[in-house]
Amino acid sequence: MAISLATQAATDALALNRAPTSVGAQEVHKWMQDFNWDFKNNRTKYPTKYTMANDTKEQFKLIAKEYARMESVKDERQFGSLQDALTRMNAGNRVAPKWGETMKVVSNFLEVGEYNAIAASAMLWDSASSPEQKNGYLGQVMDEIRHTHQTGYVNYYFSKYFHDPAGHTDARRVRTLGPLWKGMKRVFADGFISGDAVECSINLQLVGEACFTNPLIVAVTEWASANGDEITPTVFLSIETDELRHMANGYQTVVSIANDPAAAKYLNTDLNNAFWTQQKYFTPVLGMLFEYGSKYKVEPWVKTWNRWVYEDWGGIWIGRLGKYGVQSPASLKDAKKDAYWAHHDLFLLAYAVWPTGFFRLALPSKEDADWFEANYPGWYDHYGKIYEEWRARGCEDPSSGFIPLQWFVENNHEIYIDRVSQVPFCPSLTKGASSLRIHEYNGKKHAFSDEWGERMWLSEPERYECQNVFEQYAGRELSEVVEELWGVRSDGVTLIGQPHVTKDGKLWTLDDIKRINCVFKDPLA
Amino acid sequence: MTDIKIHKVHDNATRDEWVLKIAALESLDKAATFLVHFRKQYTTTLRGSFDLELDHNWIEAQIEQKVATLKEREFTNNQDLLHKCATGEPAATAVAAVLAKMAACTDKMDAEKIHINFRIDYKSPIMPTNYFMDTDRILGSKLMELRNIGYYDLSLPELRIKRGVKVIVANEQVH
Repeated sequence: MAISLATQAATDALALNRAPTSVGAQEVHKWMQDFNWDFKNNRTKYPTKYTMANDTKEQFKLIAKEYARMESVKDERQFGSLQDALTRMNAGNRVAPKWGETMKVVSNFLEVGEYNAIAASAMLWDSASSPEQKNGYLGQVMDEIRHTHQTGYVNYYFSKYFHDPAGHTDARRVRTLGPLWKGMKRVFADGFISGDAVECSINLQLVGEACFTNPLIVAVTEWASANGDEITPTVFLSIETDELRHMANGYQTVVSIANDPAAAKYLNTDLNNAFWTQQKYFTPVLGMLFEYGSKYKVEPWVKTWNRWVYEDWGGIWIGRLGKYGVQSPASLKDAKKDAYWAHHDLFLLAYAVWPTGFFRLALPSKEDADWFEANYPGWYDHYGKIYEEWRARGCEDPSSGFIPLQWFVENNHEIYIDRVSQVPFCPSLTKGASSLRIHEYNGKKHAFSDEWGERMWLSEPERYECQNVFEQYAGRELSEVVEELWGVRSDGVTLIGQPHVTKDGKLWTLDDIKRINCVFKDPLA
Repeated sequence: MTDIKIHKVHDNATRDEWVLKIAALESLDKAATFLVHFRKQYTTTLRGSFDLELDHNWIEAQIEQKVATLKEREFTNNQDLLHKCATGEPAATAVAAVLAKMAACTDKMDAEKIHINFRIDYKSPIMPTNYFMDTDRILGSKLMELRNIGYYDLSLPELRIKRGVKVIVANEQVH
């Protein structure tokens, strides 16, 4: 059969110079470095004070095909374990009830972080001009997509196998109801994707991932295992295997701007603001979720925090960046003070507004109380007595007509929400480092709970315009708000949030809440 | 018996009232003026009134949607859609003016006003996005540079004065 001239030419060429039958991934990577993106003036769509160097390297040197091969193996292991072994072991029903409730928050909120991290790393891809650096960010974009699916899958898995699926099933709809949501959006959304692109990298990679990933994604697996949860470690440790790439990306972001004169002027300010932004939420919230959301304890949060945030990150990791002019954040010492009491302060408030949750909370048991007092001397006199009083007034029982929010009103303990972090605080009751500041600006009042946040607001007030829940719901009756924002189960009357995790305990309904006639009030009005 | 709705988060009488006002906008010039006026009065930290604090974002989005629809109807060629503001002003002229103003600016508070006012006057669909986005990037970069220089130079009391806040509680540890 006759062949075309083109085919003949190709056949002749191959006879002279055989095509390689295989090629190493590193060889392909080297070859790919010759490719470049040549945008007009190499400009990014996003604002930044910094200029990233054109020749920045990237450590992983993975090409997309190798990446996909590696991740597919990880996915097969993870989903295989979940769908086969763990399901046959009835893993969903072996989880301590309190911890199963905690995972409603952890996995759903982390899903938001992962989702925003897709945008953040894509923004960095756009901002970088070095092909290798872009390649690193590209890998991270794909990781974050994977992680968004994974964290969503944890809630999905629990919704199928956990004894109380409400909250796991519809967290995406109901999560905006309570006060914890907006603070999470501040760190996981605004912090990652608004403002200077490099500042976003510092928030996401240098602080969020290099500093808080260990407590958030590694420590959570220890707490999960201790509480009978094999689902979370199966997924979260698979996520963690990708996090090193992200920490390396954060490191390379700093390397890429190290020779830019702008770095000397701005970098440490941006790092300090990013650290304070992230720690202000994560320090109290993670401590609260671990210690108050578990039956079996691993170690006091303050110890975890000191080891991973203060020593490993603030000392060693930031120390390695010292040669590029990076200094440990000035606010680190104040954050250290918060790591002791702030999560205890927060749980008091979280429990007080339990009807606005998409998860169940439980008062500390006698066993819990002993553990708290042993690890945080002074806990009982300040917090333990309050919980005893609430329990004695029947706060777990729908027929009592008592929710702890009333106790705050009766005792003139005003609850404020910090405008910058959106974290609630009660100045007359806090044992942590918070202090009340209220300013009026252009006819609007704002509350703050610390010096670093106040300075951030005074410097850039338009970044912190989020309305808090007290402003949003002022004048509204609690049960109406809960019903309107989908805080009820499929029967349309029973609340998703409950003040206990007892399987045979009575569940609160909208009518139980309505009888109390609790009306939201804005303390700044 | 009144038919006043409870002020729900997503569905309330305030929003209904503005939906009617927006529906009455029938020409692009009126709608564009209406949008800019609304932004000045009810949005940003420089706003004239906080009366619509809970609903302003939603209402602004509805007005923007109306302006975009009218613009599509009245600008019948790509040249206009790509290069003219909804107010009729050439986008390039507006961009040149604001960039020159920001380039000459050395004060962070003044730069902040330039940036906020640019967004009030020109955020899409007033200005075509092909002009707006890049201009916003340049203005934002300059503003961030000015803001970060000497970030800790002023003490908090000094910074409060410079920002012009009325201090109601300075730093109170009640417990």
